[in-house]
Amino acid sequence: MRLDQIKKNGAFRITKVNCANESVARLMAMGLLPGQEVRLTHEAPLGDPIAVAFQGCHMSLRLRDAAEIEVEKL
Amino acid sequence: MPEALAELRVALIGNPNTGKTSLFNALTGMRQRVGNYSGVTVEKKIGRWALNRDQDVHLVDLPGTYSLSASSLDERIAVDVLAGRVDSHPAPDLIIVVVDVENLQRNLFLASQASELGVPMVIALNCWDVAEKKGLQIDCKLLQQRLGVPVVPTVATRSRGTEELALAVEHAIKAKAMMMRPIWPEAVKNAVQKLHEEFISKRGEALQIGELQRLIFDRNSAVRERLQTPESEYEGIIKEARDQLYKDGFNPDAAESILRFRFLNPLLSDIIERQVALKKRTATESIDQLLLHRFWGLMVFVGMMYVVFQSVYTWAGPFMGLIEGGTGALQNIASDALAGTPMLQSLIADGIIGGVGAFVVFLPQILVLFLFISLLEESGYMARAAFLMDKLFHWCGLNGKSFVPLLSSYACAIPGILATRTISDPKARMITILIAPLMSCSARLPVYLLLIGAFVEPRYGPAVAGTALFAMHFVGALLAAPIAWLLNQTLNQGQQPKPFLMELPPYRAPRFKTLAWRMYESGKEFIIRAGTVIFAMTVIIWALLYFPRSAEVETTVTHSYQAEVATQAGNPSLDEEELCKRIDAAYLEQSYMGRFGKFVQPVFAPAGYDWKITVGVLASFPAREVIISTLGITYALGGEIDEESNDLRDTLTQAKWESGPRTGESVFNIPVALSLMVFFALCMQCGATLAVIAQELNWRWAIGSFFALTAVAWIAAVLTYQVGILFV
Repeated sequence: MRLDQIKKNGAFRITKVNCANESVARLMAMGLLPGQEVRLTHEAPLGDPIAVAFQGCHMSLRLRDAAEIEVEKL
Repeated sequence: MPEALAELRVALIGNPNTGKTSLFNALTGMRQRVGNYSGVTVEKKIGRWALNRDQDVHLVDLPGTYSLSASSLDERIAVDVLAGRVDSHPAPDLIIVVVDVENLQRNLFLASQASELGVPMVIALNCWDVAEKKGLQIDCKLLQQRLGVPVVPTVATRSRGTEELALAVEHAIKAKAMMMRPIWPEAVKNAVQKLHEEFISKRGEALQIGELQRLIFDRNSAVRERLQTPESEYEGIIKEARDQLYKDGFNPDAAESILRFRFLNPLLSDIIERQVALKKRTATESIDQLLLHRFWGLMVFVGMMYVVFQSVYTWAGPFMGLIEGGTGALQNIASDALAGTPMLQSLIADGIIGGVGAFVVFLPQILVLFLFISLLEESGYMARAAFLMDKLFHWCGLNGKSFVPLLSSYACAIPGILATRTISDPKARMITILIAPLMSCSARLPVYLLLIGAFVEPRYGPAVAGTALFAMHFVGALLAAPIAWLLNQTLNQGQQPKPFLMELPPYRAPRFKTLAWRMYESGKEFIIRAGTVIFAMTVIIWALLYFPRSAEVETTVTHSYQAEVATQAGNPSLDEEELCKRIDAAYLEQSYMGRFGKFVQPVFAPAGYDWKITVGVLASFPAREVIISTLGITYALGGEIDEESNDLRDTLTQAKWESGPRTGESVFNIPVALSLMVFFALCMQCGATLAVIAQELNWRWAIGSFFALTAVAWIAAVLTYQVGILFV
């Protein structure tokens, strides 16, 4: 499953990231690495961007970038 | 202590939303300067911090960044300053890393990157109070031991911990306290060594380990751009290192993050004690359930923007009235004092006081807007607003953060353009600045009111007039979208779109001191501009409208008026006021601007304008509201009128063509009025905005946008007129 496909209110774990993507590289520097738990907390009114929570911080990212991150349900 | 201490330089770095700027303010107080790094729009903040009684420190506040990978402008400046690569900025003697206690691990990533630059370090654990309230306990002593650098708890907003910080800085500089660094795989160590030797031997370039690491880990590091050694000479070493990393089982793009966190995590594992309370949903998350809700979130947003927009209009109104009154009074005083020298009187009263006053009148709007902008930013709501709006904007290269500046531009483009500083993507910021002048600012309102009041309302009634006024406010915005899209397609093809990642920071109560400070800063900047650029432009335009001023004009007009009065039956007395108006009009016709207007009139003929409207349009280039008084003068009504003046409305409706194929016909009809409004809606008739664009981007862009928007306005005005006359 990819991060842009997950539903709200569930916990997920990152399995794989495409680190050639610049946004993903930045997220990794913030700690969004394989093994990290994430939750989807909000979707913008038009469906894009989304907000995810990890390690106590909330980060907004666009679906295009979220599609570069693979997750599994916990 | 010896007196001639070499000046110490300290740099402040940290993630966004860590209270870094609050700490900078707490340490330097009023002793700070804000500027730009040469050639870029990154804000440069420098201040003096009294470390102890004998020693001042030169403190640089670097832009907030999550990483030093140097792919954004902010990060690039941060790396360059820390490594001492910026002209007139030697490498700092110490780095203070401001760390948010609640996000220790993520924040220390930046500290770890900075630790490779060979500069002593102190860590400020900020927001200590919030963490304590949340039941977060951190063993500072243990952390200090493990990291190898002093760790000082601070509460920047209350200036707590600053003395301890000063002591720690002194100590760390003396002891050369360096933060512990990860042990890198052989591939990285070897490559760093080889690159170092390569650069030294070929070009004599000595780079810090941290800079060499950036070359290895980051695909597009800005460090490459400033190297003198050509890429071909070191590319091999980097490729070899990345290939080796890959063989060792690391993706080279991910290696740095993975290895650094792998190094940091065990150091932090037993440092943080969280109480159970933290597991519960935080207040911020509960608030966001409402404010980011798909429906209610939008409603709250629209409501909030309405309040902001309304307040900019209404709160500022009385103060603007006061400034206008003050300007008027000053003009009267100057007029009286200089009555003996008409030229000086006109220059000072009409030119300088009138011109600069027309600019300064926007100061209250600027202050109110910046009050709201800092409220929105300080509280944490700005990021939410950008989150809600992002999709509406991102198809044309903008992002959610463009919304507030564009909305502000409806009051006045100047504060709107200044507000774009909150947009971190340089391209999105540039596009936002360039389309901001298309938003219908409040200075266009008088023009709409006059023309709609004179031509639309009498014929179609108030309902249509209201709709027309409303519609005029969207003409510019409608054109702005395709223009933004075009700019996005054509600007800086090589430049990659910057990722739109934005933290949604926890909500915080804004502090009065911060709000007051930001209002003061924005007001100061605005006033300085009024005293320089605006002053100069005002004088030039005044001269074009005033000279040449031969006395013959006055005698000719007086004679012809006398002759005209003499032929009238019944009432042969001279109307002094009427004579004055006629003389003013004659002078304007004779002025360089008037002559130019007649000369240029054929250009505006396809839009239906006579030479008088053309002069009005030309004279309004420095400030669009000038059209009202200029039309007043050209149609011989005297300058003291406003858009509510029935005289002006009547005169406009009665104006007839004096020559040419349409002699005797009315100058103004609905197509001409619409065409004129469209022209004003789109044209860049605002010297002050141009000056601000020049300051925020450069003069090339200011001049370019001036010509582009004038051309667009002309085309749209001609189209409006030509289509309009088909229906009349």
